[in-house]
Amino acid sequence: MIPSTLRITLIIAVVCYFIIILYFLKNRALNLKYTLLWLLAGVVMGVLVIFPEMLQRIIRVFGIQSNMNGLFIIAIGFMLMILMALTSIASRQNMKIRSLVQEIGILDKRIRELEDGHSDSVGERDV
Amino acid sequence: MKNRVLNSYDDCKEIEDVNDMTDAKVLIIIPAYNESESIENVIDHLTDQAPWCDYLVINDGSTDNTLSICEQEHFHYLDLPINLGIGGAVQAGYVYARKNNYDIAVQMDGDGQHDIAYLKDMLQPILDGEADIVIGSRFLKKEGFQSSQSRRIGIGILSMLIRLTTGQRIIDVTSGYRAVNRMFIDIYSRDYPTDYPEPEAIVTAIMHRGRVKEVPVRMRARESGTSSITLRKSVYYMIKVTLAILICRLSYGFRRAKR
Repeated sequence: MIPSTLRITLIIAVVCYFIIILYFLKNRALNLKYTLLWLLAGVVMGVLVIFPEMLQRIIRVFGIQSNMNGLFIIAIGFMLMILMALTSIASRQNMKIRSLVQEIGILDKRIRELEDGHSDSVGERDV
Repeated sequence: MKNRVLNSYDDCKEIEDVNDMTDAKVLIIIPAYNESESIENVIDHLTDQAPWCDYLVINDGSTDNTLSICEQEHFHYLDLPINLGIGGAVQAGYVYARKNNYDIAVQMDGDGQHDIAYLKDMLQPILDGEADIVIGSRFLKKEGFQSSQSRRIGIGILSMLIRLTTGQRIIDVTSGYRAVNRMFIDIYSRDYPTDYPEPEAIVTAIMHRGRVKEVPVRMRARESGTSSITLRKSVYYMIKVTLAILICRLSYGFRRAKR
């Protein structure tokens, strides 16, 4: 069983966690789309802190003996998931930036041609 | 065609033949990252020997004066504001080729390794409808610059890997001298690998049921600059490209495009 002082500490921590996320959301410093996973993690943490018996049962299913270890493993698992999600977001943004840069390069060339007044140069024949 | 304003028609008979042979719109894509020493030579050569082709230098966010040379010499060029790496730069060329309705796109390096004299050999299989992608291979006739021993071993391993995963025998898998037809201009403009793209692009091509053909070319040792693959990076290169080939093969495994 988790000692009651620790439970209180954890509950306060979870509340702080939510306040911080909501604060960021309110100030539009975080995109709701990317925060859903964080909110979900918070809900799971909250439920587990309020009903530690659930935590124990889940942990026993996986064959973990110590409650605190179970909590850590769950927390690490969530972090890994969020990190992976972040990597995938970064990769997708990378792709988008790449096509934007290419597009800028092509537009830049077009502007140069228009400014020079010879829009009949390379590649402009039958678009 | 505006670019067919010729200055030295008499001494390029061979090129004339190609010109007669086809009315295909050809774009030569030349990615350039810090190639200020060689780019002028490459373009002069190109406009001299293949004046009927359009070309496009892609200045991939160079930190030297490649851009100002392009401006001064009035080259046709794209200026990418951020360095994308060779894959992104070449892809910009393919996007441009798609948007401007080119029939054939040829990519060649900006460092003078690839000889424009082989352009006809490169285009012929595509014009004849024999191939979708033509790779200029320095190993078919073992002429010209053959690269160092260790690189040849690396290339051999990758070649073997591509053969195992796709069943096709391509020898010079890292050659950046390539010609592709309209179908692959379209495919590459949407889906082109990054980082060290050449071997992976072959797998992409085969997975789209492209017919890949190698033709012998003679390559020169680079005029200037260093290969993007230094000795220090070569281990990383081999691991990354091996993984990339495997992943590329896997991701297309179940959805081989129909021709």
